[in-house]
Amino acid sequence: MIRFIYKRLLGAIPSIFGLSIITFLLIQLIPGNPVLTYLRVSNIQASEEVVQALRVKMGLDQPLIMQYVQWLANVLQFDFGTSFISKRPVVDEMVLHFLPTLQLTTVAFLLIIVCSIPLGVTSALHRGKWFDKLTQLFAFSSVSLPTFWLGFLLMYFFSVQFDLLPVLGKGSVVHFVLPATTLAIGYIGTYLRLIRASTIEVLEEPFILYAQARGLKERTIVWRHILKKAASPTLTGLGMSFGNMLGGTIIVENIFAWPGMGQLLVESIVNQDYPMIQACVLLLGIVFFLTNLLVDILCGWLDPRIRLADDRIK
Amino acid sequence: MKKRNIWAVSLIVLTIILALAGCSQQDENKIAATKDDKKVFTFSWSGDIGDLNPHTYFPNEFFSQAMVYESLVYYGEDGEIKPWLAKSWDVLEDGKEYIFHLRDDVKFSDGSAFNAAIVKKNFDAVLANREQHDWIDLINQIKTTEVIDNYTFKLTLHHAYYPTLQELTYVRPLRFVAESAFPASGDTFTDGLTAPIGTGPWVLKEHKENEYAIFESNDTYWGEKPKVDEVVVKVITDGESRVLAFEKGELDMIFGNGVISQDSFKFLKESGKYETKISEPTATRTLLFNTNRETMSDKNIRLALQHAFDKDAVIDNIFYGIERKADTLFPQNLTYTNVEVDPYAYDVEKATALLDEAGWKTVKGKEFREKDGQPLQLELLFISTDNIQKSIAEFVQGDLRKIGVDVKLTSQESNTFWTTAFDGHYDILFTATWANPFDPHSYLASITTDSSGGGPDYYALSGLSFKKELDTRIKEVLLTTTEEDRIKQYHQILTMLHEEAVYLPISYQSNIAVYKKNILGVDFLPQEVEIPTTTIDMKN
Repeated sequence: MIRFIYKRLLGAIPSIFGLSIITFLLIQLIPGNPVLTYLRVSNIQASEEVVQALRVKMGLDQPLIMQYVQWLANVLQFDFGTSFISKRPVVDEMVLHFLPTLQLTTVAFLLIIVCSIPLGVTSALHRGKWFDKLTQLFAFSSVSLPTFWLGFLLMYFFSVQFDLLPVLGKGSVVHFVLPATTLAIGYIGTYLRLIRASTIEVLEEPFILYAQARGLKERTIVWRHILKKAASPTLTGLGMSFGNMLGGTIIVENIFAWPGMGQLLVESIVNQDYPMIQACVLLLGIVFFLTNLLVDILCGWLDPRIRLADDRIK
Repeated sequence: MKKRNIWAVSLIVLTIILALAGCSQQDENKIAATKDDKKVFTFSWSGDIGDLNPHTYFPNEFFSQAMVYESLVYYGEDGEIKPWLAKSWDVLEDGKEYIFHLRDDVKFSDGSAFNAAIVKKNFDAVLANREQHDWIDLINQIKTTEVIDNYTFKLTLHHAYYPTLQELTYVRPLRFVAESAFPASGDTFTDGLTAPIGTGPWVLKEHKENEYAIFESNDTYWGEKPKVDEVVVKVITDGESRVLAFEKGELDMIFGNGVISQDSFKFLKESGKYETKISEPTATRTLLFNTNRETMSDKNIRLALQHAFDKDAVIDNIFYGIERKADTLFPQNLTYTNVEVDPYAYDVEKATALLDEAGWKTVKGKEFREKDGQPLQLELLFISTDNIQKSIAEFVQGDLRKIGVDVKLTSQESNTFWTTAFDGHYDILFTATWANPFDPHSYLASITTDSSGGGPDYYALSGLSFKKELDTRIKEVLLTTTEEDRIKQYHQILTMLHEEAVYLPISYQSNIAVYKKNILGVDFLPQEVEIPTTTIDMKN
């Protein structure tokens, strides 16, 4: 198992390296000149000398490859430069905004797991019954709802009309309820269908029949056999979704005035705050890699065949 | 049975999540706790207040700078200049020297004294970065700053610049921070402040970036103290969310220009549950024609567009009458802008006749007019996130289609929009004048310079044959010494701009205020960007 984890970790290094190159190059592709942008957002007259001096200061007079090496060296020391707008270190701003997003995403993510697994398994066990039909209806409608519309609906009913929850902002536990639900609902629909499908698949396997024949309790069958086997495809999907959610909280953060990465990223793009955009993209990319890595490891742990197959290839 | 267990486990996990999520609960409690025994007034803004430095611009907000920092003189009703940190002043040498007699009872919020030395230090810090502030012509006019005695400060100018006092009322950059707020280098523009310490009625108590800022009343304030104890400014980016937060009661007021949609304003007003107010016109929402483009350099085309656009339809259908129709570049209620000109009436026949005259003829079987085989196509540039601009753009497109002009709509996000605008890659552009106290003189001055602190107007108007003359006249009016002269010259300049039809004014923007019925003292201040936080009071 340790060997398996070690190999996966090693395998992630070239991917992250590749990501850093892409992030670096992406910025080069953006139309506009970072020097002029910096001057404009700082309200500084763009005279020839000023532009030239700033180009040297930002290292933009160097060949591209040198620029990349310099940038990478700084990034490895957690130095992403200074924000064009706030003039503060990018790292400080990122830490400040990443935490709220991570909190929100984690809550939403756990909400997805906690809701979709029981719903999915139960509807699989009661296939074709009214409960199954009800969850199916829920799944379809939740996936089709646009996030911003759902967000406003929830705000309007639960907060303005029934006065149960705060409208927006970050603060106490209750502040998480609406944004996390808004973020999670679409995914819950998707995953409950996925879990239902894989549970049904497992139910039809001979070993379930055998387990029943052995006289095992239903509870044991569901927990030890069905869930464990059905979890693997779901986990892979969830790993991807976690990354997606981190990047996809933009709309939810905007609606619920949540001071997170989504807002920071949008603001940076609008203001062409290059160092900030670069850092955000890199960070989100790395988180994406890490969650997938974690999922890989979890899948390997759940299903020995995966890690064994991995060993055999070599 | 089996499912019961899964549900039970799920419930337990859910409880744990909520418990875990509660790690930052204290903040909210803190705000709530202060509410019980104090008058706390809450409103929202679309962005963070920034670092509260009066000597810099973005990401600082005007309203928050104005809450903490004060000017030597105050811009009063109808542009009357009132004493503020300076209790009086003498103008000498035909307007080239200003001597300010400062109040001797003013203290900064850290307890340090406000005197001529600190005034000079602030002026010098701003002047050290002259280029950054050259959109204000006063900055270029200042020759020397002198301390005469402890409470007397002297400003010497190169020329007799008439808007001197007016420009001293601006929220930035000529306002004052305490000695202790200066960074070690003394360069407030580059290195920022060590702390936001001013003389104003409010002191920053707490600031959580992108979440909220809490200001508390300044105990040592020299003037009339604010009526409420604290002002909370919550950051809410989305307009609809702002409306919901207001309806829920989490905000006491919605204030500003473009902060909520026209539909929401109408809805809140008609609900009867709240008080609403609309300010006098502050600035003008206008289209700007790029005279460097061959088609637009033809005055007949510009005139045709003026007559072809049905403004009333826009006012009725987009603004529901909240913004009033504009026929002149500046609202008539500002100083020097009350100019009598014939407005361009909506007249499709006249518009078509003008196009015919300009040589753009209708071609059988084709929707759009042509000249020398080229179709008449104009590019209208607007900001993609601005729904009002988008709706108006569609009206313009529809109206001009009727006279055979093809309008291509181009939307860009705001930064790119301004770059394109300054580079002049458009035929028609959305822009707006700068409102009180910048209109008309600062706005007109910006036409004469290609500085990035100016506007896209410099380039857009540079295709006009008389641009040089216009620039000279604007520069002259700023140095006029008699009121009579000034009125006459502004009249000529504004008539000139109107007759050349380079601007198509659409509507006069206003500030709106929607507030709970227990809120008193919501009066619009003469400077468009200021929020009346000191006069606001709350009934229980």
